[in-house]
Formats: sequence, C-alpha cells, structure tokens
Amino acid sequence: MNWVIVERSVAAVGSVVVFVVAVIALKNDWKTPGIENHVFKIMLGLLALGGIIAFLAGIDVLGRFGGAA
Amino acid sequence: MAVTTVPHAGVHDDGPDQLYVETRELRLQGFLLFLVSDVVLFSSFIFAYLYLRNTGNVWPPPGINRLDVAFAAFNSMVLFGSGCTMHYALENWKHNNFVKYAWCMIATIVLGAMFLGGQGYEYTTLYFRDHVSWGGSGIFGASFFTLTGMHGFHVAVGVVYLTVLLLQSLAGTYTKDKFFGLTAGTLYWHFVDVIWVVLFSIFYLI
Amino acid sequence: MSEATVHSGGIADHVHPEPEGFVRKYIFSIDHKIIGIQYLITGFVFLVLAGLLAEVIRVQLMHANGGFVSADTFNEVYSVHGSAMVWLVIIPLVTGGFGNFVFPLMIGARDVAFPWLNMLAFWMFPPAGLMLFSSFLLGAPAAGWTEYPPMSLQGAAGTSMWCAAIFLVGVSSTLTGINFLVTILKMRAPGMTFTRMPLFVWAQFATAPLSMVATTALAAALAALFMERQFGVPFYDPTKGGSPVLWQHMFWFYSHPAVYIMILPAFGLVSEIFPTFSRKPIFGYKMIAFSSVAIALLGFMVWAHHMFTSGMAPLLQLPFMVLTMLIAIPTGIKIFSWVATLWGGDIRFTTAMLFALGFIATFTFGGITGVFLSAVPFDLHAHGTYFIVAHLHYVLVGGSLMGILAGMFYYFPKMSGRMLNETIGKWTFWLFFIGFNGTFLPMHYLGLMGMPRRVAEYDPQFQQLNQVESIFSFVMTFALLLFFGNILWSIRNGKKAGPNPWGARTLEWQIPSPPHYYNFKHIPTVFSTPYDFAEPLPYAGLEEELTDSPGPQAGH
Repeated sequence: MNWVIVERSVAAVGSVVVFVVAVIALKNDWKTPGIENHVFKIMLGLLALGGIIAFLAGIDVLGRFGGAA
Repeated sequence: MAVTTVPHAGVHDDGPDQLYVETRELRLQGFLLFLVSDVVLFSSFIFAYLYLRNTGNVWPPPGINRLDVAFAAFNSMVLFGSGCTMHYALENWKHNNFVKYAWCMIATIVLGAMFLGGQGYEYTTLYFRDHVSWGGSGIFGASFFTLTGMHGFHVAVGVVYLTVLLLQSLAGTYTKDKFFGLTAGTLYWHFVDVIWVVLFSIFYLI
Repeated sequence: MSEATVHSGGIADHVHPEPEGFVRKYIFSIDHKIIGIQYLITGFVFLVLAGLLAEVIRVQLMHANGGFVSADTFNEVYSVHGSAMVWLVIIPLVTGGFGNFVFPLMIGARDVAFPWLNMLAFWMFPPAGLMLFSSFLLGAPAAGWTEYPPMSLQGAAGTSMWCAAIFLVGVSSTLTGINFLVTILKMRAPGMTFTRMPLFVWAQFATAPLSMVATTALAAALAALFMERQFGVPFYDPTKGGSPVLWQHMFWFYSHPAVYIMILPAFGLVSEIFPTFSRKPIFGYKMIAFSSVAIALLGFMVWAHHMFTSGMAPLLQLPFMVLTMLIAIPTGIKIFSWVATLWGGDIRFTTAMLFALGFIATFTFGGITGVFLSAVPFDLHAHGTYFIVAHLHYVLVGGSLMGILAGMFYYFPKMSGRMLNETIGKWTFWLFFIGFNGTFLPMHYLGLMGMPRRVAEYDPQFQQLNQVESIFSFVMTFALLLFFGNILWSIRNGKKAGPNPWGARTLEWQIPSPPHYYNFKHIPTVFSTPYDFAEPLPYAGLEEELTDSPGPQAGH
C-alpha cells in the first residue's frame, strides 16, 4: 500500500477541515474582549495558516526543495 | 483635605468574587508571560538552526536523506486536529455541555499522544533506517532532534497537563464561571500547535 | 477609617495569616521583604567570595612574571570571578534583593503577584552559586565568564557545571522578571497610574522584561553548550558544521541586556536618593522614566558591539555601532536630570548621598569610555585589552555596586529598624572611592598601551602600574570589609531608625521600620508623584499606619 498517498490525502483533507474550523471559530469569537481572547484569536489565525501550509505540503506544492518523499 | 476625586485605577465594585477576578487576572498575565518566554526559548534555537544552515552549502548535508514531508504533513494534521478539538472542548465548557467537553478533551489528549507516537516513528526511522543521530549527524541531526525534541517534550507535558485538567474537571474543581485552569490549558495547547507550524515549515518545507 | 480608603474586596484587602515558626518566617518565607533580605545576604556572601578571587588576580598581577598561581588556575579564577559577580552578585542584589524588598512597598501592595514563585525563585539561587563555586573541584571553567567555544568545548567538567549553575540562576531570574512585571502591571495602589509611580518602580518595570526575555535566550545558549559538551551534539564546533560565532551571537544577545539589568535598578535607587537628600523634586521625572524604557528597548538591539573583532561583516557592524551610540542619549538625559535635581537643592551629605554622587562620577566616566568603544575603529584596537576591563569595572563597580551600596545605606534603616553608622559609612565611601579609582583608572592607559586582558603574565613595562592597582585594590577591599562590619554591628547596636529617618516621600517610608508582615493596614490612595517637597504627601488612607491600632484581619 502506498502510504505516501494515504498520508498526503489525510493531510490535504484534514487541513481543509482545520482551516474551516479555525476560520469559523475566529468569526464567532471576533468580538470577545479580554487579553486571553485576543491571544486565542492570534493563535486561531496561526492555526488557519498552519492548515494552509499543511494543505500545500500535502499536495506537493511546498516541500519540494527542502525535503520530499 | 484638598484632594482631587479618586481616579478609578485598580478600584472595582464590591462583590464576593472580586478576589477571584483579581487573582485570575494575575494568573492570566503570569501565564501569558511564561508563554512569551517559551517563545523566546524556541526562537533562540530556531535562530541557531537558521544561522547554521545559512553558513552551510547543501541542505540536507551530503549523506543524509531528505525528511519525509508526507508523513510530517499527516502528523501535523493530527496535532492541528487536536487544536480544533481543544477549542471545542473549551467552547463546550463555556456553554455548560459537560459531556461534549469531556469527549473533546479525550479526543485532544488521544490526538496529542498520537502525534507523539508519530514523532517516535519519525525518530526511529531516521535513526535506524537513515542513520541520522542527535550527535553524529552534524548540525542536521543536532538542530532537528533538539528542536523537535523540545517541541515533543512540550507536547508530552501538555498531554499530562490536559489529562490532569480533565480529571480535575471530573472531580468538580471547575465551575461554569471559574475555570481558569482550562483556559490556561487551552492557551498552552494552542501555543504548542503554533510552534509546530513554524517547525514544520522550517524543517520540512524549506 | 478615612473615607478615601478603598475597600475593594479584592487582593488589596486579602491578607495572609501571619507566618508562624522560625522556618516559615525566615527560611521558607513567601514574604517579599524576607525574600529580598535573603537575596541581599546571599548576594553579599558571593560578593565576598568573588572579591577574594579578584584579590587573587591582583596579587598574581603584582609581578609581571606572575608566580602566585599557575596560569591555568589564573584562567579559572578570573572566569569564576566574572561569572559570580554578574550572576550571583549584581543581578540578584539589584533585582531579587532591592527589587523584592522595596518596590511592592512603593506601589502600596501587600506582596508580589506570585509569592510562592518568589520563594521558589530565591531558593534556586544558593544552590546555583554553590554549583558554580564547587566547579573548582572539577576543574573550573577557564575561558572567561564569556566561555567562547572552541575553548569552552574542551577542558574539565567544571564548564558543564557552569552551564548548569547559570541555567538554574537564569530560571530564577526569569521567574522573578515575570513576577515583577505582573505585580507592577496589576497591583499598584488605587490612583497610582504609571506616571505617578516612583522612579525605582519604573526602573524595575523596564528591567523585568529584560530578565524575562533575555535570560531565556541565554538558557538556550547554555543548554546547547551543555548538550555539545556532554552528548556531542554539534552547535559550535566548526569541524562538525557548527559555528563559534553562533555562541557569541546567542551569548551576547542575553549579556548585553544583562548589563542593563544590572544598571537600571541602580539608576532607580539613585533617582530616589537624589530628591530626598536635595529636598527637591526630581528634575525631568517623565524623561527619566521613559529613558529607562528606551534603554531597555535599545539594549536588545546592540549585542554585536561585543563582536566587532569576530569577523562579522563590516556592513553589519555599522547599525550596531550607531544604535550603541544612541543609547548614550537616554543615559545622558538621566545624568543631566540628576545633576539638575541637585542644583539649588538643600544637600545633605549622608553616606547614601555620597555613594550616589560618587556613582554619577564613576558611572559617567564608564559610560563615556563605552561611547569610545562603540566606535568600531577604536574598538578594534581596544578589544581584548585592559581598556575593556577598565570600562566594565567603571560601569559595574563604579555604577552598579556603588548604587547598591548607596541603596544599602538608604534602605538598611527600613529593613532593620536601625541606622548604619554614618562615621564608618563615610570612611567606607572615601576608602572605596579612592581604592576603586586607583585600581581601575590606570587600566585605561595600560589597555591602550597594549596590555591584553585575561593574562597571568605580562610585559614588564606594565608592572609598576599593576602594582599600584593592586595596592589600591586592597584599599577597596578594606572599605568593603568596613561596610560588612558596619552592617553586622548596626543590626544590634545601630541607632533606632523610626519610620522615616530621611524625610523621604515614597510610600515605604510612611510605615514602620521594619514594616509589619502585612505592609499596610489600609492600602492607600495615591494622587501624584511623590517628589514635590513643597506639597503635603499625596496620599490618603495612611492615618493609622504609625499608630498602635491592630492590623488587618487575616483573610479579610
């Protein structure tokens, strides 16, 4: 079984899910006050970014030069 | 005495929970500053890795295979997924859904442990199949294992921490209004997630 | 009860029960005042030990061909001397010592934000110091307090102990930084906005982020060095792909802010002493306050001025040179403000004031040689010579240590309820001032004439001045012994101090000496900065502090 395809598929699909969850969470919590909520928003934004990066890695757009499998 | 009106810096309404509100503020600030110092710790090692890699020529160095991007992307999903379940855990707690909260916490803990398992798989593959070791593979092994190892240690601590929080919440330590430990745990877990975004990018994608 | 007293039901009204038993009161205490005194005692013990090492250096250097100790031992001696003075003496004394004792009182708080963490942080300090000094048994670190690789990768196990010891004391420093920052942000008395805070609090506020952020960077550097020495993990060894310059970057990224950690609290102490003993408001309060923050920020951007000879690109040297010169501006603003504070004032030459005045002279001198060194061409000539040794001792001893001594004479009455002996104090000051300058002033000349630092033997042309320096160093040491004797004598026999022997205006002087464990019966309200001697005290709610009325109930 070509594990690489499995891994890449999970990465591609999962990262979309992660991105959507993060963006929805950001949208819902956008107006909450307090410093912990501001920090959460930053972290959710970075999580969304992580989703994008992982998606691009999964479909072999990123990661061709520094590392590849 | 001839004084101006008292400005309201630091003065709040009376109330039995005033002590909790103020104490929570202190703990929150302290915890956030601790996270800042942890960011500095990782940043220092990330600087060292980028500095050393910049003075070299070829990457990976001769004789060392490239890292497995596909697997790491998969493992990243596990960790990012746990970030999502952690977010929902806290949301459910705030909305008083204890059962959903508990399942989300369990999912987070399990996914976190799975991520560690994945790292273990990566490490053993690197060591046994590719002969890359911490001390014997130049700055490649040094930087990779040190940084991902530090991160893995933080994940492991987080898994333990979240388990303790779950057990505490089952024992009734937290209420609908007083749950700072859960907030802190969520902050910590997201922090670990975000660090991984950076590490994944700089080790696997460049 | 005054109507201006504020009952918030929060932390201000929450009093811990009084600790019972000797151990809880004086050993494992969570009281910031006790912890502050513990830091002071421990720091002074290490001052004596590190000072003894300094005298070993001076005895060795009396003769151009050495002979007192071997060259290897000499390397170990100056390495531990420098490491101890920075990490076990100056930093703990100004942050953990004076910081802990004074500033919570100054902001009208009952303690710091995290008292247990405070105690934990303190108790890391003595073991770390013991670890550092016991490294002599294993072969102490021998590459200077800066421990550059590849030399620090070699040699005896003491260097690994050094890594562990400094790491531990660094954790202590980081935790203290977090504690102080949260305390200042969240626990100021009602009415004490940032622009009404005493300048010592501003100094600690500027220093705390340095302790927090910079020390963590050092922890990373030390951990990497330890891993390389013990487990062969290459970071700094060029034969394995590492870089010695990487260590220099990581080390100096901490160690330059570290020098600001060492001096900013001393600036704060001196900023409190000058108005009190000139009986005049501090000149330029806002400028002094903001310049502390400016120095802290700029301090993060100049580390590579310690690396001009490392082979770094000349293009990169330029911004570091310019930024370093820029730091002279906020520093100069402070010095001019202090002098303007003195101008036209009703000066009282107490020992604290003498040390503060001496501080201006010697610190300014050291600061000016720092500006010399910021110019790359000059630094390329002076680097690694005794000119650097002169500069660093002028700012650290003539600056930080004199500030500490000033602070001790000023705050000893508040801490113990007794005055230090002023006559001995004045002898201490003059002997110290003369001894210090006699020791370190000639070093500027020696350095420019070519005497390198960290050498156990040197060219005979330098011998005469070295002998002069060594003799003056004995005078300085004697002065410090007088100082310690004064403390030990005055604890029992000093004149009773009362709450405010100096007529000062900050909050800590409005309560008994020493303060009760709960600090204030009622947290006061603050209406302005404390420096305006023409006005009544800008506080409300302090009426009961000096009476015999009972203290607040525990838990209230």
